[in-house]
Amino acid sequence: MYGGGNVFEATKFDDLEQEDPVKLAEFEARIARGEKIEPSDWMPQLYRKQLIRMIEQHAHSEIIGALPEGTWITRAPGFRRKLAQMAKVQDEVGHAQLLYSAAETLGKTREQMLTDLINGKSKYSNVFNYPAFTWADSNIISWLIDAGAIVNQMANAKGSYGPYCRALDRICAEEAFHLKYGHDAVVHMATGSPIQRKMIQEALNRWWPPIMTFFGPSDKMSMHTETLMRWKVKMASNDACRQQFLDMYVPKIWELGLTVPDPKLRKNEEGVWEYTEPDWDEFKRVINGDGPCNAERLAVRRTAEERGAWVRRALLAPKATYVRPLA
Amino acid sequence: MSLPLGLEVGTLLLKWHLQNTKIIKPSDSRLATQNSGPTSMSIESLDPRVTRLQIEPEPNPLPKPALDQLITFEVFHQKKEGLPFTYVGPVHAADEEIAFLFAKEQYSRRAMCSGMWIASTEHVFVSGYADDSTSVYDTMPSVYVTPEGPEQSYEIFHLKKRGKAHQHVCTVTARSSEHALEVARQTLNPAPPVVSVWIIPSIHVLRQEEDRDMWATTPEKKYREAIAYRVQDKIDRFKAEQKA
Ligand SMILES: [Fe+2]
Ligand SMILES: [Fe+2]
Ligand SMILES: [Fe+2]
Repeated sequence: MYGGGNVFEATKFDDLEQEDPVKLAEFEARIARGEKIEPSDWMPQLYRKQLIRMIEQHAHSEIIGALPEGTWITRAPGFRRKLAQMAKVQDEVGHAQLLYSAAETLGKTREQMLTDLINGKSKYSNVFNYPAFTWADSNIISWLIDAGAIVNQMANAKGSYGPYCRALDRICAEEAFHLKYGHDAVVHMATGSPIQRKMIQEALNRWWPPIMTFFGPSDKMSMHTETLMRWKVKMASNDACRQQFLDMYVPKIWELGLTVPDPKLRKNEEGVWEYTEPDWDEFKRVINGDGPCNAERLAVRRTAEERGAWVRRALLAPKATYVRPLA
Repeated sequence: MSLPLGLEVGTLLLKWHLQNTKIIKPSDSRLATQNSGPTSMSIESLDPRVTRLQIEPEPNPLPKPALDQLITFEVFHQKKEGLPFTYVGPVHAADEEIAFLFAKEQYSRRAMCSGMWIASTEHVFVSGYADDSTSVYDTMPSVYVTPEGPEQSYEIFHLKKRGKAHQHVCTVTARSSEHALEVARQTLNPAPPVVSVWIIPSIHVLRQEEDRDMWATTPEKKYREAIAYRVQDKIDRFKAEQKA
């Protein structure tokens, strides 16, 4: 995963008028030419702030996203599945490392990002505040949450910030395995015994509402959104991503004889998917801390940070000085 | 407007989970030993690994000591024997050797790799960045005064396009990083574009030249390749059975 970047409200669109008009014009011309921005380039404050926020939330989503799937590592059915599940979860943690480094090039330290995560100040993709009750839930996450993430990440990989693009190229290459692994696991259950079919259908029922909120509420089209799209920070609207996801995956769900738990879901004559509007009140409530797993997710991260502190202290030579990475 | 079916089921299950995620309070916490499951007030999770951590749900976290994070190192990998070393990204580590271990895990775990170079970020001299169609070498002054001082060897890396990665192009002998940039310009005289040049003193590049076998671990882990999952075969078989 997990491009949570489109999900949350943006930084304030205020001080664009205070930017140097000549530098701003050069910056915009570079993006219009299709060139990437590198960390040492001049950039508007809004661009920097928005990217830090987006990449940081993406990184948090990867590292927290490792927890629901990690739930089933110890009880994965069979050694091969255990190996694959571990490899996938390790990839997600690796994605977090890549993304923290990309955000760091913009001037926020990885340490500050981790601190903001464990203090509840920064957000991550809301879907990970829900539990993986069974192995089948884990399969649905591996397939469909990763599928949603890939829609997001493929779009963002065409964005304008060099370090984020480099990280996303690597991430997208690794995601190919996640998607196939997840799909294979769901197909195995869906084509298995009646009990297996029931398990996977129930997991799909549980995960469908969070999946439908994955890309966030419809964007309010504003000057702000238009600017971020022109700067290639935001690459597609939330609704466009959701439509693309539905178009790619609903047929794949249906061909397994599974039911999507939304009686209104259908593709209309114009080729647009219609669906029951997700419960955005629940979404807001959960993202603000009141979900089934928020407390546990953050407690696990905080514990990892606290119980690892002695290792960092032991390793940190007094002469070591921190320098921001280059790209 | 009726709720979608999934939401009802989901909400019910959430209630079930909340009711069943209980906080265990043994009557005597001294009875709790290390591996006997949750102690007083600790989180009981769906994930047994989390339960074993014995985390207090409402801890009073000590404030984190300021900046205890580790320094960064820049990592270059070689995809295949004979290909140039190419930038892949940074790692945080306490020293070069730990950086090497982290880098190997982070950047060679999934993709083919036959070698890796590591350099501390502070040892990388950066030329600045030009446009995609131009060369940073062309922005340098035409008259250059060679500095005093002993000579040493430097590794030169070029970035050909923004958003791509710096690649090793040559090793030069020079008296400073700036001097190495000048020597590289004279000896390579490269056609544009050269968007950016990174220069690292060769003594500050950690290489692993012995033990080449250590890179040969990727091919055996087929379960990490998309191609190992023959999903379509299973779907086709399922559909055929449904028809029959
Ligand atoms: Fe993934
Ligand atoms: Fe990921
Ligand atoms: Fe994922």
